[in-house]
Amino acid sequence: MARLLSFLLALLVIIPAAKSQRLALDLSNDEVAISTGFTGTELLLFGATEGHGDIVVTVVGPRSDEVVWRKERVAGIWVSGDSITFKSAPAYYLIAASRPLQEIASPEILHQMQIGVAEIELSTGSQRSDAEVAAYREALIRNKKRRRLYSQDISNIKIVRDLLFRSTIPFPASVPTGEYQITVYLFKNGEPVGQQTTSLPVRKVGLGAQLYKFAHQQAPLYGAIAIAIALLAGWLAGVIFRRA
Amino acid sequence: MQIYLPIAEMSLNAILLLGLGGMVGFLSGMFGVGGGFLMTPLLIFIGVPPAVAVGTEANQVVAASVSGALAHWRRGNVDIRMGVVLLIGGFIGSTLGIWLFTFLRSIGQIDFVISVSYVLFLGIIGVLMVVESGRSWLRARNPAAPRRKLHKHTWLHGLPFKMRFRRSKLYISALLPLGVGVFVGILAAIMGVGGGFVMVPAMIYLLGMPTSVVVGTSLFQIVFVTANVTFLQSVTNQTVDIVLAMLLVVGSVIGAQIGARVGAKLRGEEVRIALGLIVLAVCARVAWTLVATPEDVYFLGQPGAG
Repeated sequence: MARLLSFLLALLVIIPAAKSQRLALDLSNDEVAISTGFTGTELLLFGATEGHGDIVVTVVGPRSDEVVWRKERVAGIWVSGDSITFKSAPAYYLIAASRPLQEIASPEILHQMQIGVAEIELSTGSQRSDAEVAAYREALIRNKKRRRLYSQDISNIKIVRDLLFRSTIPFPASVPTGEYQITVYLFKNGEPVGQQTTSLPVRKVGLGAQLYKFAHQQAPLYGAIAIAIALLAGWLAGVIFRRA
Repeated sequence: MQIYLPIAEMSLNAILLLGLGGMVGFLSGMFGVGGGFLMTPLLIFIGVPPAVAVGTEANQVVAASVSGALAHWRRGNVDIRMGVVLLIGGFIGSTLGIWLFTFLRSIGQIDFVISVSYVLFLGIIGVLMVVESGRSWLRARNPAAPRRKLHKHTWLHGLPFKMRFRRSKLYISALLPLGVGVFVGILAAIMGVGGGFVMVPAMIYLLGMPTSVVVGTSLFQIVFVTANVTFLQSVTNQTVDIVLAMLLVVGSVIGAQIGARVGAKLRGEEVRIALGLIVLAVCARVAWTLVATPEDVYFLGQPGAG
C-alpha cells in the first residue's frame, strides 16, 4: 500500500513535468497549391520527440456550415426531403497514429480531446431527436469519407528509434481551400504529454486562382468576358472552316 | 491529362472534355441542333455539379450558335422582327428563370428540378420526333397517303396585338412569339440549353413560320438569350466555368463541322428518327437517376445552399 501511494505521488510530480515534453514537426511543403494541373497531392509530415511514446496527428480543415439532406421517395421518385445544418463542420479531417487509437489512450481521453473521426465536434441547432441527428451526423461523415475528405481509417506513422516520426497526409483533387490545422500529440502510458500545432494554407494558385477570384469579385465583368470569348470562338470557327 | 476547373472546383481529364465536346458537336452539326440538351446531362453524369453544368453550358451554346446564326444572317434567313419579339420574351423568361434557379438552389431542390425538366422535355420531344419522322418516312414510301393541311386557324389567331411579320409572311398576335420566347428563356436558365429543340417545333407548328427562316431566327434568338443567361448566372450564382466552357467549345466546333458534312449525306427522316432515339436514350438515363435507389439517401448540399 505504501509502495502504491509513493508511486502515485511520484506520478503527480512527473506528469506536470512531462506535460511540457518537447515535440518538433515540419512539413515537406509549407502550403498546398492548387494549380491548373492539380490532381491531389501528398505532404510528408515529419518531426522529433523526446523519448518514447505514441504519436497521434490530426489535420483539421477550415470549418463552415454543412447541410445534410435526406432523399425521400415520393410516388416512386427520389426527391430532397428534410435537411439538417451542422455548424462549423471541418471541411477536411485526417487522423494518423503510431498504433491503433484504442491502444494509445482511453475512449474518455480521446473523446475529451476530440481525437478520431467519431469525435469530430458537429453541433446543430436542430430540434429533432438525438437518434435522428445522429443518423444525419453519420451520413455527413460517410459522405465526407466517400469524397476522401475525412480519413477512411487511421493511417500509419513511422517512428524511428523513439526519436523521429513521419507520416504522409493525402489531399484529394477536390480538397477545399483554407487554413488547415495540423496537431501532433505525444502520448505516454495513455496520457497526453505533449502537443504541437502548425497551420497549413491550402489555396488556389496561378490562372485557376485568378479566374476564381475574378468570377467572385468582378462577376459582371467575368460574365461579359465569358460571353465575348464564346462569341469570338464561335465566329472564328465559322471563318476558319469556311475557308478550309 | 487532368485539368483543374476553377469554378467547378474539381479536376477532370481535358481529353475527355474535348472528346465530349467533339461528340456532342458532331451530333449537333449532323442534326442542326444546339446540343445543350445532350451536353448538360453528360456533364452531370461525369460529376460536374449540376448548377455549374447548367451555367457553363449556356456559355458554350453562345459559341455553338453564333457561327450558324451569322451564316443564316448572311443568307437572309433571319426574320429580324420575329427574332426581336422572341428575344424580348427570351430576356424576360431567362431573367425569371435565373431568379427561379437561385431560389430552388437555396431550398436544395435545384438538382431535382433540373433532372425532372430533362426527363419531361426530352421525353416529350423524343417521342414527338420519332412519331413524326416515322410517319413522314412511311409517307415517303407511300405517296398516296393524304397530306396534312398547311395552315389551320385556331383560337390562337384571335389574340390581340397583331403584328405583321413580312419575312415570315405572317400576321399574328405578338403575344404568341413573346410567349414562346418567355418559355424558352426559362428553359435556357434552368436547363442550360439554347432551347432550339422546343423553339423550332413551336415556330413551325404554333406560329406557322416557313421552315426557311425558322432555324436562322431561332439561332439569332438563342445567341442573345444564352448570352443573357451566361451573364446572369455569372453575376447571381458564379456557376460559369470559363475553362470548362472553352474545352467544350474547342471540341464541339470541330465536331460540328464534321457532323454537318456527314449529316448532309443522310436522309432527313432517318436523321430525325436517329436524333429522336438519342434524345429518348438520354431521357431514360436521367429518369433512371430519379427512380433508382440512391447509393446513399443522405447527401451533402451544394456549397452556398441554405
